[in-house]
Parts: sequence; structure tokens; C-alpha cells
Amino acid sequence: MQEKAHQINPEKARWLENLGIAMPLCLSYLPIGIACGILLHAAGMNFLLTLLVSIVVFSGGAQFILASLLVIDAPISTIFITLFFLELRYALLGSSLSKYLSNESPAMIFLFSFSMNDENYAVNYLKFVTDKHWTTRDALMVEHYSLISWAGGNMIGGLIGNTISIDLNIVDFALTALFLYMIVMQIQRRLSLFICILSVFVSLFCLLITRSTIGIIVSTLLMSLLGFWIEFEVRKHHANPDDAWILGKLFRPRTTRTTKEDVEVEKQLEEEAEEADENTDKADDVDDNKDERGDRS
Amino acid sequence: MMMFNNLTVASMVPSHHNLVYHLIVILIAALAAFIPRYFPLHFFTNRKIPEWFDEWMKYVPVALFTALVVKGIFVDSKYRLITEHVSWLGNVLVYGHVTYLIAAVFVMLVAYFTRSMAFSVVVGLLVVWLLSFI
Repeated sequence: MQEKAHQINPEKARWLENLGIAMPLCLSYLPIGIACGILLHAAGMNFLLTLLVSIVVFSGGAQFILASLLVIDAPISTIFITLFFLELRYALLGSSLSKYLSNESPAMIFLFSFSMNDENYAVNYLKFVTDKHWTTRDALMVEHYSLISWAGGNMIGGLIGNTISIDLNIVDFALTALFLYMIVMQIQRRLSLFICILSVFVSLFCLLITRSTIGIIVSTLLMSLLGFWIEFEVRKHHANPDDAWILGKLFRPRTTRTTKEDVEVEKQLEEEAEEADENTDKADDVDDNKDERGDRS
Repeated sequence: MMMFNNLTVASMVPSHHNLVYHLIVILIAALAAFIPRYFPLHFFTNRKIPEWFDEWMKYVPVALFTALVVKGIFVDSKYRLITEHVSWLGNVLVYGHVTYLIAAVFVMLVAYFTRSMAFSVVVGLLVVWLLSFI
């Protein structure tokens, strides 16, 4: 494997190495991008507008929602509020990466946040945590590779949406499937599962009462605050909160892909091991690597 | 399979949706995508993240995605609860789109075991397509 990589990239060119890192992402973006392009085409956008949307929005969920909101002719204020709440999760992703960008110029921060996405965030977070040679420039490159693949898929979808006939009921399910996938990826602990199951009933109730997308927002606010409150109360009253049953991790099959939470746990273990190291032989000189990690924690 | 030719596609698009309208929508969508991405990242590059913000944000995605899935499966475009009589299940009354419900189970299983986004979505679409023949 290493030898082969060396044959393809003998000069160890950075752009080529980063392309290899971004490749799994690019390949999985293509089919979903095409489905998204077809839906946006059906909602009345031509392929150039579709291309523009995919670059400036660059989010699968938001673009699928946008297409369905255009079809039902939702008011622009509803489009803004719905998309804003949907993209609010990037506030979390962005702030968790902010410490790696502290020495960058405002222009770089602008560019980086502009093309940040759930999936390239996962890749970059993993690299920032595990690879000390990983720079913001590399991270930006990964973002742009995934953007190119996503925008390309959208444009192809916008172009073939005209020539082939597709059952829109089937493509429409892509949105629900995408969110189902994200839910499964999000649920790591019992409390998240509990919030998810309760959300099914609460959101249905809110949707039927409000008869608009406001129901989604009301339910999201209620349920996220409930989760926050339950965790707060458990941490306050439980002697050893991390051992509390409700905050325990759910069983998952271990695969090659690592999630953000797994990385955090591994990082914590690493830091603990390093601390133990430092305690045992304090005479040892502290190298740069340790200094860096100390700052981060 | 239902056929959507250019005529039916055109009729799905409301008449006042012209180029200017679409450009305004794109601008609005771009702002909605940019604000949550840029400002927290920019703000926290030199400051510490408050713990409550981090803790609260942990539960936003799960709550939001669940609500969106519920809307996709159980609620129609006029925000009424979907009820279906399924002939191949002995005319039993089911709440929600039956094909979507079945496909959702497959998507969750595939997502749980493979963690692959593309694979999960493609399997979901395939199940919906196959069930449309029944």
C-alpha cells in the first residue's frame, strides 16, 4: 500500500496527498450531489443556479430542504429560518475547530468557514487531532476537493434532470434517508437515543398544532434544552456522572471510520497516558509535541 | 414508475418563480448557511467556548434531524397526519408513508453497520423504488 502510494506520488506533493485523503469523501458526495441536482432542477432552477447554490450553501440537507420549500412555494422568511436552524449545527463544529485556526488571517478564517461541512469537518478534525503536521492550508484543500466533487455532482444532476424521467417520490426520500443517516451517526449515548425517541412524538405534535415548519423549530428548541437540562441535573446529583447509566455509550460495531466522539475519547486516553509519563520521569526533557498537546487541553 | 415529463415539472414550479426570485432565494440561503459557520468559528478563535453553549449544542442535531424525518414520513405538505390503508398488509391502517417507514428501517440498519452516507442513502432509495412495484 505504502509502496503503491509512493509510485503514484513519488515527490510527495502535498496537493496529491491531500487529494488521497479527501477521495472517499469526494466519491460519496457524487451520487447524493446528483440526486440533489435533480431535485433542484425539478424545483425550477437551471443547472447554473444549481451550481451556484451548491457552492454557496454546500450542505446536502439544506439544499434538499430548499428544493422542497421552493416546490411548496414557502415564503422567503420561512426559507431563511428553516435553513438557519438546520445550519446551526455548524456553530458547534466551527467552534470546536476554532483553536486550530487561532493564528490565521481573517481571510483564511473566512475561506475556511465558508466551505466547512459535516463530512470534511470530520476528516479535518481527525487530522488536526492526530497529525501534528496538518496545517490549515491542508484542511482548506480537503474542503475544496469535497466542494468540487459536490458542486460537480449537483451540476450533473441539474443537467440530466432535463433529459431523464425520474420518479420524484423516490428521489424525495433521499432527504429523509440523509437525515436518518445523520441521526444514527449522532446517537452515541443513551440520553441522545432517549431525546431522539421523545422527539418523534413531540415534533409530530408540534407540526400538527402549528401547521408549519415553525413546529420543527419549536420541537428542536424544546428537545435540545431538555437534553441539556437532563445532563445538567444528572451531573449535579450523580456522584460519578460519567458512570451514570443515562450518559453511558450505546454499543456500536467498530469499523474503520472513527467519529468525533471516538477521537475525543482516544485523545483523552492519550493525554492521560502522557500525564502519567510525565509524572513517572520528570527528569525527561519535554519535547515540542507535548507542549502543543498541553496547550490544547 | 411514474413519469415526470417537462410539462408536469413545469407545473410544479410556482408561476412567480423567475430568475430574480431564485437569485434572492440563493442569497438568503447563502446567508443562512454562512452566519452559523463563520461567526462562532471567528468569535472563538481568541476566546474560550462557554461550557453551556457546547453542552446545549450537543443535542440540537439529534432533535432537529428527528423532527425533519418525522415531517418527511408522517406529515403531508398541508401538515396533516398521513394515514394509509395498506392492501398488501390486509388493509391495515398505518400512520405515515408505509414505503418510507420500511425504507427508513433499512437506512438505519445500513447506517449503523457501515457508517457510509452514500451506501445508506442508495439502499433507502432502492427500497422505496422496489416497494413502488407492489
